[in-house]
Formats: sequence, structure tokens, C-alpha cells
Amino acid sequence: MMARKTAADARPSRRPLPAGALRRRQLALSTWLYLALLAVATIMTGTFVLAFMASLKVDPLERPFRVYFDQLNPAAWIAAARLGQEGAGDALWGGLSPGAEVDFSVTYGAPAGTEIVEPKAEIPRRRPGSGIAAALMRHYAADYASIALKSSSSAMMQVRAEKGGLQAWQTRTFVYEITYRTDGQDQPWIERTPLNLTAPPSQTLVESPISPSRSERRGRLLSWDNITPGVLGLIFNNYRRVINETADLETGKSLFGSWLVNSFAIAAGRLVLTLVVASLGGYALARLKFSGSRFIFAALLFSMTIPAQVTFVSNYLIFRDLSLLNTPWSVIVVFVASANVLLMKQFFEGFPKEIEEAAIMDGASRFQVFWKIVLPNAKPALLVNAILAFQGAWNDFFWPLVLITSPPEALTVQVGLLSLRRSFGGAQGDWGLVLAGAFISIVPVLILFVLFQRHIVSNELTRGIT
Amino acid sequence: MGRAGSEERSGWLFILPFTVSMALFFVYAIVRTAYYSFTDFDLFKAPSFVGLSNYTALVSDELFLTALRNTIGFSLIVTTVQTALALALAVLVNHAVRARGLVRTVFYLPSIMSSAAMTLIFLWLFQRDGFMTAIVGVVLAYHRHILLFFVGIAAVQGALVLKARRRYDGVSIFDPFFLLVAAASALTLVVACALAGLLPVFDNDLRVSWLNTQQRFFFMPVTLWSVALMNIFTTVPTLMLLFLAGLQSIPNALYDAAEIDGANAFQRFRHITVPALRPVTFAVVTMSIIGTLQMFDQVAILGDAAPLASRVTLAYYVYENAFPAGASSRIGMASAAALVLGILTIAVVYVQKSVGVKERAE
Repeated sequence: MMARKTAADARPSRRPLPAGALRRRQLALSTWLYLALLAVATIMTGTFVLAFMASLKVDPLERPFRVYFDQLNPAAWIAAARLGQEGAGDALWGGLSPGAEVDFSVTYGAPAGTEIVEPKAEIPRRRPGSGIAAALMRHYAADYASIALKSSSSAMMQVRAEKGGLQAWQTRTFVYEITYRTDGQDQPWIERTPLNLTAPPSQTLVESPISPSRSERRGRLLSWDNITPGVLGLIFNNYRRVINETADLETGKSLFGSWLVNSFAIAAGRLVLTLVVASLGGYALARLKFSGSRFIFAALLFSMTIPAQVTFVSNYLIFRDLSLLNTPWSVIVVFVASANVLLMKQFFEGFPKEIEEAAIMDGASRFQVFWKIVLPNAKPALLVNAILAFQGAWNDFFWPLVLITSPPEALTVQVGLLSLRRSFGGAQGDWGLVLAGAFISIVPVLILFVLFQRHIVSNELTRGIT
Repeated sequence: MGRAGSEERSGWLFILPFTVSMALFFVYAIVRTAYYSFTDFDLFKAPSFVGLSNYTALVSDELFLTALRNTIGFSLIVTTVQTALALALAVLVNHAVRARGLVRTVFYLPSIMSSAAMTLIFLWLFQRDGFMTAIVGVVLAYHRHILLFFVGIAAVQGALVLKARRRYDGVSIFDPFFLLVAAASALTLVVACALAGLLPVFDNDLRVSWLNTQQRFFFMPVTLWSVALMNIFTTVPTLMLLFLAGLQSIPNALYDAAEIDGANAFQRFRHITVPALRPVTFAVVTMSIIGTLQMFDQVAILGDAAPLASRVTLAYYVYENAFPAGASSRIGMASAAALVLGILTIAVVYVQKSVGVKERAE
């Protein structure tokens, strides 16, 4: 009644939207909402998915960006597994070992009338990468393996021509056999078997078990970095390389491996130390009345706002004077666990006082109360603190950068990533290595996140608001 | 008396490990930094007093002034943008009840990653002919399509709304249902035009130097804009979760009452959501300011991938002076700059706090 009257006052025949139309609007609004969320989530995760895909590629900077390549192609996985099996009896990681006989077939095609000639095949003395590995490489497949044409056969195939429509092509398949010569005395296992095929430009490669790593001289020279990769060796080639090729020149030990070990040691040390300091300190600030507690609390809050760059010169000097530079101890100890103490303080404040007081009345000491009653009940807060401490120490970049500078194997993984960037991350750099290194460095924190997601997320909320 | 005394003693014993670490690595360190800022210390020879000359040297050092400008600009831009984005995103997620759990997981991922790994991924993304360039290239290639799409939406939406307003009350310009229709018809229009060959693709072979460049945009080097983009990308999710928690603590009854009183969506946001979120906003802005003023990791990892002047921040300037490549340490300069950085941080946080408190009292 009301609506009709006001509408009549204003202009003839203006009504509110009918119920059906309103419901449609609600639905449309939800559609927009979820579309927007989908877009944001795509941007968020898409970046990581793309970067991860790129980290598997031979050339992460390739343009245009392909989303379908050997490392994501199940047919290539099967072929790689077979080649690895034939090469070294290892379908996962491949290689070439004594007694191996590997069949590798390639098919060339050309328009009818063009003769397809046998490509020139050779196993080159190629170094795997640009890095230190080149200097460390001791065994070349070229010295131990020989390649021979086993058989060839011709066929016809239909090819989609550029102007549309099908065109008949003739094809020829060449089956090569790569054998491990068994004449020499020492017969090492060889990690990879490169292959070069040179053919005239009139014929093109139409099929091979795994795609060539690169093609040079306008497709005349096709080269494979490794034709006996094994399935994991194919997919995670860059990951294997970042472990193997960042090696110490003298010992040959993997630098990336020791960076990971160092980071683990530092993170574990910091975790233990933080738990002790934070639970004791948090309990004192929450429960015990002592002179100076307000001053310490103020200093705690203050220390959370001051950047580490303000204090690092003095801390560097302290560890230099103690000769603790370039040891994990310096990085473990230097951290002032203010945020962790604050977190424990807040937890203990919400903890019922009565039980503790009863125990004190019964003559227990403060430490007994803390050890026997308070700590066993503080497990959730301790867990959150442990996760945060580990994550913080693992991801820490600044303190390891300042306190650990040499030798190369003493670095942590985050500072190691910086040296990876310096050695490989240029404009024409080996970005596969850099990205693979970055993704390996994420793994421990990612596992932690997946296992304890609920705790991390909920805690981050409370920490921020207070 | 005895009990109070024992509490005093055990209190000090309990807090002792933390106090020692704080006194040694924080308080003593600040005092020493302040002392070194008045000396010519170089890490090896004994420091001798030089008065204020480090500070006068700072003020006349072009690189320091650049670092100061860069840091303030960076902090200002990143804090503003990421606070606004995080709030918008939180409002969005808060309405999307069904997706909340998933969103929390997905959005949290970037913030658990180390800055080093994140920077490497972004470096790859921002290579001169990398993926970011490719995206911009595609947008450029199809800019006519995109333009037509938006013009189409505006036209159809306008027509639909005008027509509906003749008959009905309370049809908003952004009516979601009409917008859906408008988007669908604009998309059809674009596809039809493209198929008919009316929209040529703009061929371009784009190369953009996102990082290795001296160019400036607005008042900040392009390099730092790229770093800002990365920083926003990694921090927004965390801040969004803080806002989300704040939003969920606002009672729904407030919104219902306001709706009955005839407040529209924007008015409800302005007069209920914003005031209720003030404490959270304060926390978020403070965290952002502290985080951005000490921007260091990303800049250090960029290293020689970008010219020093295009990426230097105060925190990096301090480090660069303490451990310069191929020169002896200038600890005096480094300490003076470090003090400037510390004081700047405290000042900004303090100002922000007093402004925030005043607003809250209104």
C-alpha cells in the first residue's frame, strides 16, 4: 500500500523490483563474488604453478611459454623410463653403465619427392652446464659409448599443410643403438648420454622418444642433453643438476646439500633456544611480579620495531671477537626472540591461575610448578612457537648473510640462493638451476605448513591483532 | 614478605635468558651503533672520535639521499596499496562463505615462503623477455579487444539500467544482474568482431627492462616498483587474514539494523566496517610500515641485476657501507645511516599511532 502511494506521488508506474528479480540479483552478486575470488586465487597460485613448470624446463625463459612439454608428457615419461632402464638398469634416474645397449629411434619426414638421408649421429663431449660442474666432470659418455645405425624403415604419413588440408609426406625411421664399449679397464657409471644428430634442412624431425633439448643452425643440428634420463631424471633434471653442479671444486661435495644441512642445523638450534627463552620469559612476564618487568616488556615491544640493520655491526663484532663468525652458533644465538616471548606471555595470561597457586601453597617451588604443571599444558603454544621459530630461522636471510661469509659450504640455503643467482641468474643465465634451487629451499617449510596449517593460520591472526 | 621476595627472585631467573640476549644483542648493540656513528671506525683500527662529520657526510652523499627517498616512497606506496587491497580482499572473502577455508590455505602460501626464494621466482618472472613481458605483450596485442569489451559493458549496462529505472525503483548503476548480462553481451560482441576480422591484433615484439634500468616512474625507480609489486603480492594475503578476523568479530546485527534504517552498501561499509576495523587497521599499517622501511632481502638478492641507485634502500645502504665490495668498511657512515633508519621507523610508527588513537577517540 505504502509503496504504491509514494510511487504514485512521484511518477506513474514506478514500482520496487519484484521478488524474482531481487533473487536474480542476489545470485548475480554471488557469481561476481566468486568470479573475483577465482581471479585472485588464480593470480596467487598461478604464479607458483607457472614458476614450478618453468623450473622443470630445459629453458625456463623460452618464448612463447609452452605449457605442454616433455617433462609434463606421460608418453615421454614412459620413453624416459625405458631408456633409463636400458642405459643403466635404473628406470628412475637413468645413466649409462657397462654392458648397456640402448635403442633410440628417430623419425624424419619430408614432403613427397624429397629424399630423406641418414642423419649424422655422434655422441659429443658435452659438458652438462655452465657452472662448476664443467670443471668437475670426469667421465664423458663420448669416451665410453659408441653409436651405430641398427635399422631404418620408410613409411608415409599425413601432415597438415600450412594452407590447410592434408599433405602426404614420406617418413623414415632410424633406429640407433648406443652401446657401452667394454674394452677399457675402468668402466665408470656415467650420468648422462648426450646425442647430436645433423641432417639437411630439407627434412624435419617428426618423432623421437624424448624431444631434443635444443635445435641449432635452423634445425639442422638437433642435440639431446641426455638420452638415458630415466623418468625422474627427465622430469627433475634441473633439480638433480642444482644438487650435483653446485659442488666444491676440491672435494666434489655438493654445496647445495651442505647448505641444506646447515640451514637445518641452524633452524633446529634456534627452535630449541627459542622455546627455552620464550617459555621461561613469557611465564615470568605473565605471572611473576618482579621489579623491572614493565621495563623489560617495554624494551621487548621496542625491539620489535627496530630493524636488524641498526644492530648488526655490534653483533658482528661480538662474534668476531669470540671467533664464532662463520659458525652456525652465531646465527642461532644472535636472534632476540621478542615476538616469541610475547606469544608465550599472551598464552600464559589466559591460563587459569588457581592450580598453580594451590601447588605453591603445597610448597612446590616456582620452577617445579612451571616444569610439572604449566609446560605440559602449554603444548599448543609451544608447538606454534616451534613452528614459527623454525620457519623464521629457515627463511632468515640477513643474519646468515652477515655472520657466515666463507667458506662456500658454510652458507645457509637462503644465502646460497643468492650465490646461485649470482652465478646462473643472468639475462642468458641458467634459470632452470635458479628456479629449481628456489623450489627445493621451500620444501621443508611447505611440509611444515601442510602438517600444521591450522595452527599457523590461527596463530598469525592473534599475533597481529595484539 | 618471603613469598614476594621469592617471586622477585624467580621472576628475574625466569626472564634472565631473554634479558641477557636482549641486553647483549639489542641494547648494547644500539648503544655501540650510536657510539660508532661519531667515530671513523673501519672494523680494524681503534675508533677515534670525529664529531658529527659522518652525519654531514651522509647529508651530502647522493646515494644516501637516493636511499632515503626510495625508502620513504616505497614504504608509502606499498603500505597504502597493500592495506587497501587486503581490506578489499577480506570483504570479498568474508562474503564468500563457502570458499573461506580454501581461500585461507591458498592465500597463506606466499607468506610462508622465504624472501630469497620468492625474489628468485620474481626475478625469473621479470626477466627482460620473461613471463611478465609476455603478459604485457598479450594485453598490448589485444588492447582493441579489451577496450571494446569495456565500452560494450558500459553501453549495455547503461541502456539496461536506464530502461529499468523507468519502471522500477532502486536499480543501482552497478546492478549485478545487468552487469552479468552486459558482460556476456560485450564478450559476444568482441568475439563476433574478432571473427569478422574487424579487430586486428596489434603485433609487437616487446622487451621491457623491469629491473635492470635507470628509469624512474613517478618518484621511484622502475626497479623498486617491481620490488613493490612483489612485496605487495607476498604480504597482502597475511594482512587479508588479519582483516578477515576483524570482520568476523563485527556482529551481524549492526549491519541488519543499518539496512533497516536504509543505509546502502557503501554507507554500511563506511560507518560500520571501517570504524570497527580501526584496531586491526592500526596493526596492519604498523606491520606494513615496519616491514617496508627495513626492505633489505629483495634488494640484496637483486644484487648486480639492477643498478645500485635504482634499488638502494636505507637498510641496504647501511649494509653496503659496512661491507662494501672491494673497499674498506665505513662503519661510521653505516652506523649514522642505521640510526637515521631506526629513528625514522620509530617516528613513523609513533605518528601513525597518535593519529590512529585520535581517530579512535572521535
